[in-house]
This record gives sequence, structure tokens and C-alpha cells, in this order.
Amino acid sequence: MIKIVKRDQPSRAIFFFTPVLAIFLTLVAGGLIFFILGFKPFEALKFFFIVPIADKYGFSELLLKATPLCLIAIGLSFCFKSNNWNIGAEGQLTFGAIVSGGVALLFYEQEGFYILPTVILAGAIGGMLYASIPAILKTYFNTNEILVSLMLVYVSKLILDYLVVGPWSNPEGFNFPETRQFSDSAKLPLLFEGLRIHAGIFLALAAVVISWFVFYKTYLGFQMKVSGFSLKTAKYAGYKGKKMIILVFLISGACAGLAGVGEITGPIGQLHREISPDYGFTAIIVAFLGRLHPVGIIFASLVVAITYLGAETAQIFMQIPKYTGQVFQGMILFFLLASDYLLFFKIKFMGLKK
Amino acid sequence: MNTNLKISNVTKIYPGCVANDNISLEFNSGKIYALLGENGAGKSTLVKILSGVIIPDEGKIYLNENNLKLNSPLDAKKNDIGMVFQHFNLFETLSVFENLIIDSDEQRESLREKIDTIMKKYNFSIDLDIPVLNLSAGQKQKVEIIRCLIRSPKVLIMDEPTSVLTEQETSELFLSLKKFSEEGILIIYITHKLKEVMQLCDEVAVMRRGKLVSVSEIKNENIESLANKMVGQNLKIIKKKKAKTSSDQLIKITNLNFTSEDPFETNLMDINFSVNRGECLGIAGISGNGQSELFQVLSGEIISEKNSIEFKNNYIGDLNPQERREYLMAFSPEDRLEQAAIPQMKIFENVALNNFKSSNFFDNGLINENKIKEHSKKIISDFNVNTDNIELKSQFLSGGNLQKLIIGRELITSPDLLICFNPTWGLDVGAINYIHETLIKINEQNKSIILISTDTDELLKLSDKISVIHKGKLSKIMNAEEVTSEKLGILMGGAN
Repeated sequence: MIKIVKRDQPSRAIFFFTPVLAIFLTLVAGGLIFFILGFKPFEALKFFFIVPIADKYGFSELLLKATPLCLIAIGLSFCFKSNNWNIGAEGQLTFGAIVSGGVALLFYEQEGFYILPTVILAGAIGGMLYASIPAILKTYFNTNEILVSLMLVYVSKLILDYLVVGPWSNPEGFNFPETRQFSDSAKLPLLFEGLRIHAGIFLALAAVVISWFVFYKTYLGFQMKVSGFSLKTAKYAGYKGKKMIILVFLISGACAGLAGVGEITGPIGQLHREISPDYGFTAIIVAFLGRLHPVGIIFASLVVAITYLGAETAQIFMQIPKYTGQVFQGMILFFLLASDYLLFFKIKFMGLKK
Repeated sequence: MNTNLKISNVTKIYPGCVANDNISLEFNSGKIYALLGENGAGKSTLVKILSGVIIPDEGKIYLNENNLKLNSPLDAKKNDIGMVFQHFNLFETLSVFENLIIDSDEQRESLREKIDTIMKKYNFSIDLDIPVLNLSAGQKQKVEIIRCLIRSPKVLIMDEPTSVLTEQETSELFLSLKKFSEEGILIIYITHKLKEVMQLCDEVAVMRRGKLVSVSEIKNENIESLANKMVGQNLKIIKKKKAKTSSDQLIKITNLNFTSEDPFETNLMDINFSVNRGECLGIAGISGNGQSELFQVLSGEIISEKNSIEFKNNYIGDLNPQERREYLMAFSPEDRLEQAAIPQMKIFENVALNNFKSSNFFDNGLINENKIKEHSKKIISDFNVNTDNIELKSQFLSGGNLQKLIIGRELITSPDLLICFNPTWGLDVGAINYIHETLIKINEQNKSIILISTDTDELLKLSDKISVIHKGKLSKIMNAEEVTSEKLGILMGGAN
């Protein structure tokens, strides 16, 4: 007989084990899906998860995809840890890219060491501005930040669409929906000859270290933590709870904005319609898979980045639609949420009684 | 007709606690039974089993020799067991009549007649056609009782019915219950208030930690004997020594007003009082009359006009709680789990919530964990918090231990004024005693207390002066010796 028993307290071992379990279950379910579709499951999984990162180029691509995911997820972890459900990182990424792209275009064909930092800063500010909308509406007008931040994603994408088709489109671009190429001074330097991995990865690593320090070691982080658990307690302790809410949104927006900068000044080098394959949404999965902890997020971003690459390889070699990648991302979140049940309950196997 | 209710060997086990350990009890109509016990003794579990909300792991229930299968509250209703819970289950925006007929399939007209007869018989006067939200707590309870009476129950169970009632409403309730009992309804009265048991009941069953400790007739018991059975040890009786009357004024509130935008909050009107050093000012009242708002205004969670609060000759009405703490004020809010502490955080993190500049918990914006931990250890040993692990999440502390931690956190900095709101709410007698002793000690050290409480006995025990808050207004301030609980009850009900 199997009995499900509530735990006296959530298990800490299980807390770190469930993400691993979720990934394992995703692989099993993924193999099953491939089998049903008529592929050899192990071979398909190999194409999905091992082939893409087997060489130097593949590994560089992995880091390239993981960089924005990690950066955004770090920002989101501030929001999620304090119970602010910002799911509009994709919009903040887009708006950050728009602002920084605009600044980069201002420096068209110019050179100077100051250009890149200005462009990066502009991106962070753009993301912050965009994140401040749901934050202010939430704190002062009691709106729901989930809805507002989500809907603003589509607004930002339409703004980008308008700009690259209209006023910012490349005059010599034969009406393609894209801007001019940025000058080299406005681009993030590449790290290795022939590989696409760029200096944006240092932004992500810096974000990891800074966020760990701020959240776990500073008074500011402590106040954010308290405000997140209970605004009533924050008020009682004399913290400015509303300012804390706005602050976490700003941090999260800045990180998403920086991710946007990394994309357009890194591999893309200009603004066009599709600057992000939904990094902003996928980063939500990364944040939770990494247990909202900076180190966890690094690992989670690498795991999830593989699904992007694997989907492309699988499409090329096996003619499986690349949307399978999203199926895998969905499954990871699904299995993670499902196995979190084990945090609070344990399964007891008992002999048959009577 | 005689009714006999028998509980036979009922056991209910929750993870980590045996809520009911092999309980057997027998009740007969014509008598009023008390089920007495501290919070967590297992009374509520037993009552929920009787009303079909919880299914016991083992044991049976018999009504007039019939074995009852109570798998849902509906089964209890069908078997003529009526139940009035501590918290009302009424739809505030529906009318009284709509609330009464909502779970009945009888004709509206015949029900109306039936309700009228019941109301006449027991002298209830409630307008059936006004929305429930316009009723007082006592009236709402009557609606709940009528809802049971419509089904002419054989058994009526009352779960802590007086916690929201004034003295007057309580005595009215007792009269009604006695009448029901005379008419043959078996009444089981759940409470932890000893005085009520002595006043109302014929027999008393005492529970402690899930076990039935004793069943006896009231005439063989007195308050002390019951208290000792309930707690399982001999209680010290604490009495407050008359405070040295000091005329050294510590805090003075002048023409304090608060108007809320939230319709569910109470506005405060023209509050004036002062407290001298070494004094305890008690503020009595039925909950929801502005106590929470008053606490927040005093603590600085709600900012008021600068000049309305004068503390040690400084005007501090516009300061937030943290700034007020620097003047040596301390605060213990009512809600331990949602405000005074954060259950998901560790003990030492909760200690850091009360932060002074001089406590150096946060140097240059960084957390000084060693300092906080050192301080936490001192609180735990000085205030008898029953744990030695300050890394423990505070949700694993019992209510009493958590409250000791909170009071300790507030007091270890030796503030001049402690403002506390229902400091012993929901605690067991042992913890209550400890908190009361601590509060008396503060007064003896010439520090002052503002005690906002809904527990009249507590106020009479601890206060030097007492005032009553009703609909956001304070009554005149009285010397505690001149006050009786009856007098407080009248003022709490809104009379002058």
C-alpha cells in the first residue's frame, strides 16, 4: 500500500533535488514523445542534448543563449522572492533594446570608448523605465502586475515593429524591417576569433555576484526580503514597503534591459523585428528551476539554453519542428511544479496490512 | 423526549500530534455540558468530529443508541445536531431572512412563520429584512442560533460563543441557552473561560493535550480546581502591586484623528489621553472598534499630525515606527504571524526587525549577522523561549514561544514605553502567565505600557487606568480600582 503523508517541515534536500528530478522526468517524457512520433528515443535525445554542444562552436552557442536567460532570471528572482509577479521581462528586454538601439544609432559610424558604456546604460535605463510602469500601477493604484506586465510585452513589440519598419529603418535597406548596422564602437567585443560568444557574459556573471551579495548580505536585501513576505511587517518595522516593490521591479527591468542590449550589440548588431526568441518568458522557467538562487540560476540557464540549441539541431538532422524546444521548456516547468509536491508531502510505501 | 449522545473511543491523529486520544463521553438532555480546555487541547477537533467536518480515525458516535455516520456537515444536520461556530458563517450582504433560508428547501412562507414563532418564543428581536452586515456580533450569533433552531435540533453545540460578545450580550445568550436546555435540547458548550463554565453549566469535561482529563459536576468544582485541571499544574496567581503613582508624564495624545479611506476600517475621533512613567493604561473594547487603527497610529504605521503625539517632550506624530523606536518606544502588534514576525524567516532574522541605530545590526548597509545572533541568544535565554536554535524558522515555534520572542525582542532594549495589542491572544495559560508577569515587571521598573486588549480580565489585572474604545472614540479614563467588568461591558456596548 502507498500512503501520502504530509511532511512536518519542507525537506531541504528535496528542495535541491526536485529540479534534478524534473529534468530527469522531462528527458523520460521527451523520449516517450519521440518514440510515439516514430523516432528512436535515445538517438533523438542525443541529437537534442548532446550533439549541439559537442564541439567548441556548440559550447560557445550554449553560453550565448544562456547569457540572456541567466541575466533576466537573476533580475526576476528579486521580484519573485518578494512576491511580485513580473512576467513581462520580454517587454522590458524589448524596450531596453529599443532605447539602447536608438542610442547606438545616434553614434552611427562614430568611434569612441564612451559609446559602448553609454549604449549599455541606455538599455538598462530603458528596461527600468518599462518595468516601472507595472510597479507604479501596482503600488499606487492596486492594479495586478501580472496582467499589466504581460500586456506591456505586446506593446513594446509593436513599438519595435513600428520603429524598424518606419522611422528607424535602414535608408539603404531595400525596405527590409531593420535598422542600420551599429558601428563597431557600439558593439560588445567578441571573446574568441570565429565564435559568437561576446563580452555580455561578463554582465551576466557580474549580475550573479552582485545579486547574491545584495540579497543575502545587505540591509537593502533584508528589507526587500521582509517586504516580500509581508508588507504589514515591513510597515511595522518602519521599512518603506512600496519603495521596495518599485525597487525590485527596477532591478528586474534593468537586468532584462541589459539582456536586450547584449543581444542587439552582440550577435545581432542592429535592431530588427525578432531580437529575442522569447528569452523573457523562458527566463521565468530558468528562475524557478534555479530555485531563485544565483548559483542555481547559472545551472538552470545552461540546461534551458540547450533546449534552444537542441531544437535547431533536431530540426536540421531529424526534421522535427524546432517548436519541440518549447515543448521541452514547458515540460521542465510542469515537472518542476509537480515534483515540488514532494517538498510538502512524502510517499510512504508500506506492506499490505490485514 | 430524552436525548442521549455518546462518544465512544474517538481518536484523531494529525502528523506530529494526537488531537483526540481515545475520548469517551456521554451527554444527556436537560443539562448543559461544558467542554473545557486550553487552545490546542483538542476541543475543536472533537466538536468538528461531532459536526461532521472531520472524520475520526477510530471510534463511534451514538445518538439515542443509533450509530451515526457523520461524513459531512450535512449528515450532522440530518441527524439533528446543530452547531454554532466561533466565526460566523453568514453572507454579510444578504438579508437575515435570506441567510436563514439558504440551506433549507421548505417554503418561504411557512419558514417565515416558523422563524417568527421562534423569535417570539425566545424574545429575539431582529429585523429579518436588513442585511446581516448591519447587525451587531450578538445579533449575528442569534441568526446562527435561529438557523439551528429551525431544524429543531436535539443537540446544540456552541464553540467559544462569547469571544465576540459584550457582557450584556453574554448574559442574554446564557438565558437563551438555559431555556433551550429546559426544553430538552442537549447543549454542549465549548470554552476556555472558567467563569462562564461556573455560571452556565451543570457538568464539565476537561481536556488537555488531546486527552480527557476529568468529567465532573460543577457543584463539586471551583475556578481554581478547574484551572489546575486545565493546565495540569498549580498556577501561581499573579497580582499587581499598586504602582507608585508618578506624575512624570511620558506620552500625551492630543486631539488625534484618523479618517480611513477603507470602508472596513474604523475612523478615530478626537483621541486624548496621557500616560505617566510606570503606569499601564488599558484600552478595552470589542474588537473592530478602532483598536487596530489606534495601535497603528501610536506605532507610526499610520502617520498623524506632528503635534498630536508628544513623547518625552518631542512631537513625534509624523515619525515612522523605526524613527519612533529611536526615542525608546516598542511595539507588539496583535497579529504575530502576519505582522510582528515572519514565520518563513529564521528566529535571528525576525529579531533584526526591531532595529536601532545603536544596536548595530546593519553596519554601513551590510548585515552584521554575528551581532544579531548574539542578541538573539540573549533574548532566547532572558525570555524563556523554548528553543536553543536561533537558525530555526519561526513558524516552528508555538504561539506562546513566538510571543515571548516578540515581547523579548521589543523589551530587551529597555524601552520607556511598550505598546501592545492583545499580547496573550490565543496563548495557553502558562504563556499568558509569563507574559503578564513580564508586563508587571516593566511597570515596576518605572517603564510604561499602553495595553490594548479585548480581554477584560487581562485589563483589570494589569492596568492602572482603563479607558474603553467604542466606534473609534475613547471613553473617559478611569482608575482601575473603580472599574468592574460589568461597567466595562456597558461602555464597550456603547452606552455612556
